[in-house]
Amino acid sequence: MNRREFFKISWGTVGLAALVSGVGVSLAAVIRFLMPSVFYEPPQSFKIGEPGDFPFGPPTFLVDEKIFVFRDREKGFAVASAVCTHLGCTVAHFSSDQRFHCPCHGSVFAADGSVQHGPAPRALDWFEVTMARDGKLLVNKDKVVPPNYRLMV
Amino acid sequence: MNLIREIWQSIVRRDPLSTDKGKSELVFLNVWLHIHPAKVKKENMKFRHTFYLGFITFFLFLILLTTGIALMVYYRPYPAQAYQDMKDLQFAVFMGTFLRNMHRWAAHGMVICVFLHMCRVFYTGSYKKPRQFNWVIGVLLLLLTLSLSFTGYLLPWDQLAYWAITVGTNIGSYAPLIGGQLRELLLGGHSVGEGALIRFYVLHVAVLPAAMILLTIVHFWRVRKDGGLSRPVWKLKGKKEELVVIGAPAVAVPMQASATSKDKTYGLMEVVSGKPIFETVTPEEEEDTVFSYPYAFVREAVVLMATVTTIMTMSLFLNAPLEELANPARTPNPAKAPWYFLGLQELVSHSAFLGGVVAPALMVLALLAIPYLDRNPSRRPGDRKLILWLFTIFVVANLALIIVGTFFRGPGWALVPPWVHVVGGAE
Repeated sequence: MNRREFFKISWGTVGLAALVSGVGVSLAAVIRFLMPSVFYEPPQSFKIGEPGDFPFGPPTFLVDEKIFVFRDREKGFAVASAVCTHLGCTVAHFSSDQRFHCPCHGSVFAADGSVQHGPAPRALDWFEVTMARDGKLLVNKDKVVPPNYRLMV
Repeated sequence: MNLIREIWQSIVRRDPLSTDKGKSELVFLNVWLHIHPAKVKKENMKFRHTFYLGFITFFLFLILLTTGIALMVYYRPYPAQAYQDMKDLQFAVFMGTFLRNMHRWAAHGMVICVFLHMCRVFYTGSYKKPRQFNWVIGVLLLLLTLSLSFTGYLLPWDQLAYWAITVGTNIGSYAPLIGGQLRELLLGGHSVGEGALIRFYVLHVAVLPAAMILLTIVHFWRVRKDGGLSRPVWKLKGKKEELVVIGAPAVAVPMQASATSKDKTYGLMEVVSGKPIFETVTPEEEEDTVFSYPYAFVREAVVLMATVTTIMTMSLFLNAPLEELANPARTPNPAKAPWYFLGLQELVSHSAFLGGVVAPALMVLALLAIPYLDRNPSRRPGDRKLILWLFTIFVVANLALIIVGTFFRGPGWALVPPWVHVVGGAE
């Protein structure tokens, strides 16, 4: 290898490395740019009201939060997700058969949220519900609890 | 008068169109027309060879571009305004309904024509060497067409829009490894909201059309560079060469009749240096060629006018559907995607991962690989029975899934024949 060849190869390598790293860093930056740093979305943890706001019997459906609030005289409070685990449609609770039905692809969930029928891959989530200091019920969607979780008030 | 002539001649430099030279120069001195060859083979322009499906698709795309730009003037991509603007288009904007109808029906027409165009190219074996890569570009254009339809669907912000995007982006989240991030990237959040609307809007009016235009240019360019339109199947010669017998029967020497014509190796571009990669022209076929002006241009103009007239007529009598305002709390029952995605939805209703990710990915890969896997050089249908059957099964299976999804699925995605009327679907 002579001097001319040496410089040709070295500068070529440096140039190529600069190009590849430049494109790579830019691409990574663009993807990061597209990922929002701040989400202007409702919080995952929120208060839903006083215990007395919720009747016994059929669950109360909270539209914006997409949750069902169950209240039972003996067992207490439980909160189930209304979002189908298949593709995110909103399930409906039928009091006739005590089950959840998804309108999109026909998944059916039992009263405890487990899949009974259809393409849903896993059971409906149950969320932690606790009593806040001001006496209101506090739901935390980040904390998934077992279906037998209950809050006694 | 001299000034007028000078102005005219500064714009148009070609010879008069009454001369052959003028007819050639019209094509190759004009930046827009020179995508055409100066001369075309009459046989290749036959309606029953291509059904002009590529042209129709392109003209539908032009309708979509022009009506789309018009609609952008009255559309604001925010959840609070988007649906309001749809209502404005329907009731307040002059010709608003008509333009929206044209945009919608041209979009549906484009999905149909792209698909039929693909079928035509397949059945005539026109993806074979040297046109393999153009088939790949074509498959990408099909995917872009479907992506444009999908992103366009969210924009009215009605119930159909909202739930189609919810389901669609959730299918994306089943993709291995990157699924969760992919969904977040598309939605700009964790659920379908204003972040998702503006992102789909940017994709629909800028990113995807730009990609579409770029790939369409490549597609057209390659049609020319690969030797122009493929020859109609009925003009292909059989495998057996016809033999001409020379001399008396006792000492007859068979000679290949095509030997002389093989010497002539120029294509439709008239003079090309080097050996052409495409089908060569025999002297008798050369007699079949005519100048693109007026032969090809008149035919294209007729197809353009027929396409525009059809879409306009449809738009006068059929209104593009608009459902109620998007309501995240209430999923319509059944929640159905637009008809061309109902085959996918039918697959997804059995398994989100297998039906929504694996099956479509395999289908796309198979389509992309067809020209490289099919090693059979013959384009004659008689020589390609197996692959024609396989492709027909693929087409019928897709149509069957769409028909089941469209007509045989009722509330709760239950199997309900179309002749059974469900009273008060389960809510």
